[in-house]
Amino acid sequence: MVWLIAKREFKVRTLSKASLISSLILLVLAVGGALIAKPFLVADGEPAVVQVDSSAAELVPYLDAVAGGEDAAFEFVVADVATPEDPEDLGEVSGVITGSATEPELFLPERHDALALAVAEASQAAAFDASIVSLGGDPADVAATLAESTPTVTVVGDEPTEFEESEFLAAVVVVIMLFFVLIQSASVIMMGVVEEKSSRVVEILLSTVRPGTLLGGKVLGVGLYAIVQAAAMVLPILFGAWYLEILARYDIDVQTLLVNFSVWFVLGFSIFTVLFGGLAALVSRQEDLGAVTTPMMFLMMIPLYLAIYLVPLSPEGTATRVLTQVPFFAPFMVPMRTAFGSIETWEIVLAVVLCLVSIPVLVWVAGRVYSRAVLNTGGRMKLGEALRG
Amino acid sequence: MTTLEVDGLSKSYGTVRALDDVSFDVPGGDLFGFVGSNGAGKTTTMRIILGVLRADAGSVRWNGAPVDLEVRTRIGYMPEERGLYPRMKVGEQLVYLARLHGMSKADATVAMEHWTEVLGVAERRGDEVEKLSLGNQQRVQLASALVHGPDILVLDEPFSGLDPVAVAVMSDVLRERAAAGVPVIFSSHQLELVERLCDRVGIVKSGRLVANGTIDELRATERLQWRLAMTGADAPPAPDGVTIVPDGAGAWLVEAASADVAQAALASAVYSGTVTAFEPVRPSLTDLFRDVVSETEEAA
Repeated sequence: MVWLIAKREFKVRTLSKASLISSLILLVLAVGGALIAKPFLVADGEPAVVQVDSSAAELVPYLDAVAGGEDAAFEFVVADVATPEDPEDLGEVSGVITGSATEPELFLPERHDALALAVAEASQAAAFDASIVSLGGDPADVAATLAESTPTVTVVGDEPTEFEESEFLAAVVVVIMLFFVLIQSASVIMMGVVEEKSSRVVEILLSTVRPGTLLGGKVLGVGLYAIVQAAAMVLPILFGAWYLEILARYDIDVQTLLVNFSVWFVLGFSIFTVLFGGLAALVSRQEDLGAVTTPMMFLMMIPLYLAIYLVPLSPEGTATRVLTQVPFFAPFMVPMRTAFGSIETWEIVLAVVLCLVSIPVLVWVAGRVYSRAVLNTGGRMKLGEALRG
Repeated sequence: MTTLEVDGLSKSYGTVRALDDVSFDVPGGDLFGFVGSNGAGKTTTMRIILGVLRADAGSVRWNGAPVDLEVRTRIGYMPEERGLYPRMKVGEQLVYLARLHGMSKADATVAMEHWTEVLGVAERRGDEVEKLSLGNQQRVQLASALVHGPDILVLDEPFSGLDPVAVAVMSDVLRERAAAGVPVIFSSHQLELVERLCDRVGIVKSGRLVANGTIDELRATERLQWRLAMTGADAPPAPDGVTIVPDGAGAWLVEAASADVAQAALASAVYSGTVTAFEPVRPSLTDLFRDVVSETEEAA
C-alpha cells in the first residue's frame, strides 16, 4: 500500500511538465555549456612550436627543462632559420629563437610573456653552467649540491588548519546543492499534503488507508523523486566538471564528496521532509502554506549559513562541534567540516547516530500532527492543538 | 444476513454535542435514507462509520464484528466535501483508488471501465478531473465510491448538484447495488427522492436520531385522516368519534379513530350531498420531517 502511494507520488512529480522541463534545462545548460566552453577553458593538446636556430641549439635542453617535457605548452624544434623580418616569415610557428645559447634573440608574432620568461630563464641557466665550466667545475655536481641544500622546517606553534581552497569550494557546492534538493523535496511534499487536503481527496484516502501509511508513502515517493532530481542536478554538473578537466586540475576527491552528499541527503531528507510533511497538514489551503514554510526555511537556512560561514572561521570551535551534533545542523555541518579535515571520525559517527535516533521521534511527531490535523478543514490548526489532539 | 450496525455513537466538539447516542442498523439490501437539517450530525455519523473520525463513545459493527481497516476497504464512500485529485486523469485516478482498496491492477482497470461506462463518463477517462463539469465530477466521484465493488455504501449527499438525468442514473445504481445485497446509507435533503427510493429512513436532529423506521411506519399516525370533497352541502354532518375541519373551499379533513367510523362519516356525507373525493391523507416525508423537527424543538 505504501508502495502504491509512493509510486503515484513519484510518477506525478517526476512526469510533471515543470519537473521534466527544469531537469532538461539544467541538463542542456550543464552539458551544452561544458561542450561550448571547453575550447576556451582547456588548452588543446598540440603544443605551440618554437623554432630554434641551430646557432642556439645548445639552449634547447635548458628550454625543455624550463618549459618543455610532457604536457608542455611549447615544443622547441631545432632548424636553420633566418632572422624573420615581418609576420609572414614566422608562418605557423609561435616564435623563433636565433643568436647564441647565452645571448638568444626571440622573435614573436605577438607579445608572449610566458615564452619570453622561459627563454630568459633558459639562457641564464645556460650562462650559469657556462661560467661553471669556465671556472673548471662540473655543472652536474653543482646542481646536485644545490639540490641537497634545503632547510628543515619545524613549526613550533600551532599548525594552522590547512585551508584547501578547492576542497572548500567543492564542499560549499555540495552543501548548497544538498540545501536545494532538500528544500525542493520538502516543499513538494508540503504541497502534496495540502493538495490532498484542499481537494478533500484525503477523506476518501483515509477511509481505506491509515494516516501514517499515507504520509509514509508520500515521503517515500517524494524521496525517490528527489533522488532523481538530485541525480539530474549532480550528474550534468559532474560531467561538466570532468569534461572541462576541473576535477583533475583541482585534485578534488569526488568520491568522498559523493558519499558525503548521498549519506547526508538521505539523513537530511528523512529529518526535514517527514517533519514538514506532518506540519503541512496544519493548513488547509495552498495560500496558508506560507505560515508553515517560513519557519521551515529558517530551519534549513540557518544551518546552511552557519555551515558555510562558521566552519571556515572556527573549524574546531566549541560552537561548531556542538552544532555538528544537532540533527537539523548536521546535514550541512558535517560535509563542510569533512572538507576542512577538521572533524574526528567519532564526531561523524555520533552525528549520524543522533540523526538516526531523531528520525523515529520526528516520524512520531509528524505522524501525530498529520493524522490529527489532516481532516481539520477551515482555518489553520495550532501545532499544540494537533499534538495534544 | 449481513448487517451494518451503528450502536450508541456519541461525539462532542468541545462543548458542542454533535452526536448523542445514535443507533440504527442497516441490513444488506436495504436503502437507508438519512435526513436531517444542516449540522444535525449526518456527516459526522458517516465519517465515524468510515473511521475518518473517532467517536467518543459507541461502536460500528459489520456482521457483528467491529469495523476495522479491513472492513473499511470494503466500503464505498462519497464524502460530503467532494474530493478527487484535480490534476489526475479520471481513468488513472479511479484505478488508483480501486487499487488502494486492494484490487489488482487488471481488476481495477476492468472495474474502472465498467463504472465510467455505466455513469456516462467513459469518453472522459483521459481527461483531468478539474477539466470536467461539476456534474461529471460528481459522476466520477460516485464511480470512485463504486469502483472497488464495495460491500457497503455510505454516500453523503450523493444527489446534490445533479441534473435530473444524473439523479435517475444515480437512483438506479443505488437500487441495483441494494438489490445485490449491499446495505446503502445515503443522506439527502431531497425528501421526495428519499421517500421514493428508501426502504427505511432515519431522521436526525441536533445529534439525536429522532425517528427511524420504514416509510410506512413513519407515516402511520395515531389519528387517521381523510380528505373529503363534496358539493351540495355546506358541511357534512359529523357522526360520533369524528371531527371534521374545513380544508379549503368544498373540502374538509375528516379525522376518525378508525376506518369504520370514517366510513360512517362518508355515508352521511353521501346522504347530504354529492361526494367528489374521499381519500386517505398520509403525511409525506416532508411533513413528517417538519413535524419531527418542530416537535423536538418544542420539547427542548
